[in-house]
Amino acid sequence: MHDPGERALAYAAEDGSFALYNDYRSGKAVLVPVAADPSSSELATLWRTHSGPERPHSLAPAPRVEGYGVFTFPYGPISMGVPESGKFDVRTYGERILGLVPVGGFKSRRIRESVVGLDVRDAALRIERMAGNVSASHAAAFLAAAESAAGREVATVELWIRGLAQELQRIYNHVHVLARIAEAASQNVGLAQSHALAEELLRLQGATFGHRWLFGALLPGGPARALDAPGRATVAREAVRLSREFDQLWALFLESRTFIDRIQTTGPVRRDDAIRWGAVGPTLRACGVDWDDRLRVPTVPYTDLFVSLPREDGGDALARLSVRAEEVRASFLLVEQMLDRWPAAVATVGPAAPPVAPHRGVARVEAPSGDLVYDVRLDGDRVAGLGFRSPSQANWALFARGMRDAVFTDFHFAFESFGLLFAETDG
Amino acid sequence: MIVVPSWIQRAVERGIVTSRYPDRAATADEVPATGRGPCPPHGSEGLRPGAGDCPVEAISPDGVDQGRCIRCARCLPAGFAFSGPVEASVAVRAELISPTLVPAASRRESAPLRPLGCSLHVFLVDVGSCNACNLEVMALANPYYDVSRLGVFFTNSPRHADVLLVVGVPTPEMVEPLKRAFEAMPDPKAVVAVGACPISGGAFAGTPGLAAGLSELIPVDRFVPGCPPPPVAVIDAIVALGGRARAPEEG
Amino acid sequence: MEPAGILLTAAVVGLFAGAPLALLDRRAGYAAGIAGSVLLLMVSVIALAGGTVQGIAWSGPLGDPESLRLDGLSAFFALAASIVWITTSTFSIAYDDRSSSVLAICYSVTLGSIALLVASSSFLLFLVGWELMTLASYGMILQAQGPSGRIFSAAFVFLAFGEASTLLVFIAVAGLRAASGTFLEVPVALAGPLATVVFVAGLVGFGLKMGVAPFHISEWLPIAHSSAPSNASAVLSSTLTLAGAYGLFRILTVLPPLPLWSGTVVLGIGAASALLGALFAAVSEHTKGLPAYSTIENNGLILVALGVALVARSEGLTDLFVFALFAAFYQALAHAVAKTALFLAAGYVERSAHTLDLTSLAGRAKPAAPAAALGTLATTLSLAAAPPLAGFVSEWMVLEALFQSYRFSPEWVQFVGLLAGAAVALAAGLIVVAMVKLLGFSILWKPRASAPGQRPIGLAGPIGAVGAVIVGFGVGAPWLLRFLTPSVAAFAGTSVVAPVGGLLSVPNGWSILSGAPFGILSPPMIPLVLGAGALVALGYFGLGRRRGARRVEPWMAGSPSGREGETYTSFGYSTGIRIMIDSVLRTREVRTHVGAVTRAELATPVAYNVDLEVLDVFKLFYDHLVDLGAGLSHLLKTAVMPGRLGRYLAYILAVTLLVVIYVALVA
Repeated sequence: MHDPGERALAYAAEDGSFALYNDYRSGKAVLVPVAADPSSSELATLWRTHSGPERPHSLAPAPRVEGYGVFTFPYGPISMGVPESGKFDVRTYGERILGLVPVGGFKSRRIRESVVGLDVRDAALRIERMAGNVSASHAAAFLAAAESAAGREVATVELWIRGLAQELQRIYNHVHVLARIAEAASQNVGLAQSHALAEELLRLQGATFGHRWLFGALLPGGPARALDAPGRATVAREAVRLSREFDQLWALFLESRTFIDRIQTTGPVRRDDAIRWGAVGPTLRACGVDWDDRLRVPTVPYTDLFVSLPREDGGDALARLSVRAEEVRASFLLVEQMLDRWPAAVATVGPAAPPVAPHRGVARVEAPSGDLVYDVRLDGDRVAGLGFRSPSQANWALFARGMRDAVFTDFHFAFESFGLLFAETDG
Repeated sequence: MIVVPSWIQRAVERGIVTSRYPDRAATADEVPATGRGPCPPHGSEGLRPGAGDCPVEAISPDGVDQGRCIRCARCLPAGFAFSGPVEASVAVRAELISPTLVPAASRRESAPLRPLGCSLHVFLVDVGSCNACNLEVMALANPYYDVSRLGVFFTNSPRHADVLLVVGVPTPEMVEPLKRAFEAMPDPKAVVAVGACPISGGAFAGTPGLAAGLSELIPVDRFVPGCPPPPVAVIDAIVALGGRARAPEEG
Repeated sequence: MEPAGILLTAAVVGLFAGAPLALLDRRAGYAAGIAGSVLLLMVSVIALAGGTVQGIAWSGPLGDPESLRLDGLSAFFALAASIVWITTSTFSIAYDDRSSSVLAICYSVTLGSIALLVASSSFLLFLVGWELMTLASYGMILQAQGPSGRIFSAAFVFLAFGEASTLLVFIAVAGLRAASGTFLEVPVALAGPLATVVFVAGLVGFGLKMGVAPFHISEWLPIAHSSAPSNASAVLSSTLTLAGAYGLFRILTVLPPLPLWSGTVVLGIGAASALLGALFAAVSEHTKGLPAYSTIENNGLILVALGVALVARSEGLTDLFVFALFAAFYQALAHAVAKTALFLAAGYVERSAHTLDLTSLAGRAKPAAPAAALGTLATTLSLAAAPPLAGFVSEWMVLEALFQSYRFSPEWVQFVGLLAGAAVALAAGLIVVAMVKLLGFSILWKPRASAPGQRPIGLAGPIGAVGAVIVGFGVGAPWLLRFLTPSVAAFAGTSVVAPVGGLLSVPNGWSILSGAPFGILSPPMIPLVLGAGALVALGYFGLGRRRGARRVEPWMAGSPSGREGETYTSFGYSTGIRIMIDSVLRTREVRTHVGAVTRAELATPVAYNVDLEVLDVFKLFYDHLVDLGAGLSHLLKTAVMPGRLGRYLAYILAVTLLVVIYVALVA
């Protein structure tokens, strides 16, 4: 029996040269030269299957369940209840989920392989389209890793723009999760109002960064940004208004007994399972673990801002949603702080972290669904190798475990509450 | 202490936010900058040096291929502001390639699915998208666009669908499921390729293993360029198939 | 003796003659069964059309006159039974391929004894037939295939309940004899307590045979647990229960009209049986167990209609009384005929796929012959009450009778009627689930390429014939009801008019009226209108357009369809009911871990076996009863008869002493 203690694997390089661990007891990230203990190498192997080459492939270990009348119900890959294309093999005797295996690889656009040989600018165009709704997180992490690998300096204001973009997208994603759960609960009024709020956030992003999904917004030569003083004032005003709207919305949702009933005890995750399986993001924080990259491995601009750490102990969908709601509030506060202290254009600052190896940089950001790690190797100005571990890759196993002994109708609530994306899993 | 109004109070306070497109022209809010056209023609002044370095090879001596353009804006001068009309959908792929964009009035119309404009049922298939197009199509159900006012409904099964909306670049794993979905739809049916990815491969064009476009797999009736296209452009494609009139041109 | 009487005697003799003939050649025995049934059918038609038929008469052992006779009531049950037997005997000729003739002998004796009890003119002959029927059926059940321990215990359960039933019927007959001094089946003037005793004994005794709650275990356990041969199961489920119904009806004709509570009790028992039967049928996975539960449900419906009739008679609502009686009779007929086909179909499927389990059956059977498939389709739909079949008409009539329970005066009776209506409606819904499951997973499932065996020959025809009869009975319901008027009159004791008429431009005699002006149904018009509409559509669209149809795979969310192990099992189909109604079904999940359970290992997840089980709570009661009896006898054995010589010697000594003392005192 292996006791993980309070250390969880965050990333293991494919060539086995190093591994990143989060130590939850001390609150520090640890980089060790090789992947150390056996259970984490099993986890690393599981995560490695997510990048192929066999597709489709399972994203979590499959429990073996037999019995009278037990069969496998293939849900997907094109099922309208799940927004993306991916399959779930449900082991059931009807109504109850005895075991669930998510199967991914259907959406793999082979980004990992195809960026090799491209220069960083062109590669970034593909990376930000890895998962469009979290494009800022992926682009920021990739660019930071590339800058670390090249040892290049970056203008401070660019880093602050990345921070602002990530926070706005975080808010959008969390509101979108709320809308999806309202849809699953058939609360159509709540759905409409949260969906409308999400649309307003998209329009704010479009007006501010020139693109609703921030494509190209973090790269030089991208769409026109409106981040001069009047532009920032507009953003600040809108942020205040939207923050108030969200507070009202969340308070109304919490008053609905049926809504709470659907998400309470749904998709439970135990704290030691979360640590052993390397869970990240709201999923991890809903189990009572204090980890957020913005606090534990902070980079500019988070080094200069107050970041709060919402945390719950329930481990169920309600806890995850509550963490997300608190994070929305926290993000609005961060946006306000950022706009208040916006740096002048001239200051530059160096790369966030030194390279882990010659021409090899690693960067971590807190994406809406959790910790996102990018590992970039450069050859001059071109990408020589890319590795990443997206938050969805880490959380699939927790979702599969949480679905045991649930009934079919709980599926969508649990799935949406984890914030899992096939796009960033399949690459 | 927040004073929380009830759901109804909130709704009444906010009023009606629904777009009037396609009966009225799309407003500035409904179309982001990158959803407008046209791109300046090749060779025109003001294009950034190195404009021939388009990452998806959308710019060539023949003109600009809107079906390839991923809206990275690298080819444009700093601060260039799009101000043209909505980049709406077309029925013929070739109409997306031109020195200048073909004006809406002279574009070829799609044959509507039914003789009278009537409700359409839409089935969405994601063959390999980044989720931006996916979410833009799903945004059609939100109060800002609300396509049910146009008689457009999303279905859960291709058996009940008239229109197949495809987003994403077709991956090898999704070819069979896509074909099954297409086969399962009863005639008459139509296919709409939403976004640059199914039209030409988008940002991933040229990746070995991925299809170069949806037309290689199933016949496509309507192409909606963009990365992603604004929701009003998707509405334009669907109502064109439904036989309804299109929005009047803006200035 | 008149010619019809000769036919009647010949019919009964012919049915019994199958037994000795079977010793020579099994098929001759079954052929005698066919011949006897045909004769019985003819006689019952004559009796219904022309009046009571008197057969052979003789003087009984106690000096009472005995004879065979078919009056209106007997003729109805003889008609239903003979239709069933013609098809089962034809089926048996091809089905019974055993080397021993025991099954055929017992089969013939069963048929003969049921014919005897239906055609009996005195209760003594009735009892003889009743007991003979029980014993012969016991013999048939013993012919099952499978683990012998299980067969014996299931057959023994049957025998035990059968003897209990005989005992109770005996008590009822004794009571009648005590009051009237004769065994003859004529109305008897009884009063008060004795009438109640006779009624209760008769209700419970015949209810045991009909398999109504709370004795329904006598119906499902022998059939489901012993997998008796299909022709035996068909006879058991259709005609034994029919005999039980006949007995109950007969007792009610000889008793004077009973107070209100008796009808209400019958109504309540019937509704409870209907609901329980339908519920267990919906969660059953056994190709024969499911129809067995359906028999419980249908017999419940018969009792419901009878209960409404009895209450209506007590209340003086003559039109409702007559209508409910017609409903009861029609329900009995529709059920007996349809249920036969289901068991024959189970036998067909068993021969084709060698399994009786619906969950493992899917796709294992070769494609069924059209006659078998259509026959099963018609009869399952009839039992699921789909128009325009016989089961639909009878269910409609029962529900219409229940709807009119508002006309009863005491509130508590109205309340019982209300609850019964709700129960029957719920049962109707659940039985649809059960029938669709049975039909879909047995006959309609697309066979796999690897389906073993061959298509059985000679078994499809009878199933198809029954299907045709069911359709005919459904569409021709108004005329059939008119034909059955003498039976209802025999029960009511007065002349009655069948509730048929014409309204709303439907020709007179083509509609069934449930009370003027309450409800109306015209079964013949349904296929006429549908057919006319189909013709119009066909004419408009033209036959040629159908060639434009395209065949595609079923939509499975983009996954390939029909892969083995990836389709819904029959078990999964009704798990929703198992989980939702777990309080009645006592659903519980039994999980056993198989293989290593190491939580720390990420890549070796837990493996386990899971079973979701349901339970008939009434069986628990009988299990306790059996335990009690066994415990008591064990106590007696250890306390009184321990097998020790010393103790027995002590008994002898004690008795001798007592005798000596007694003689000494007396002398």
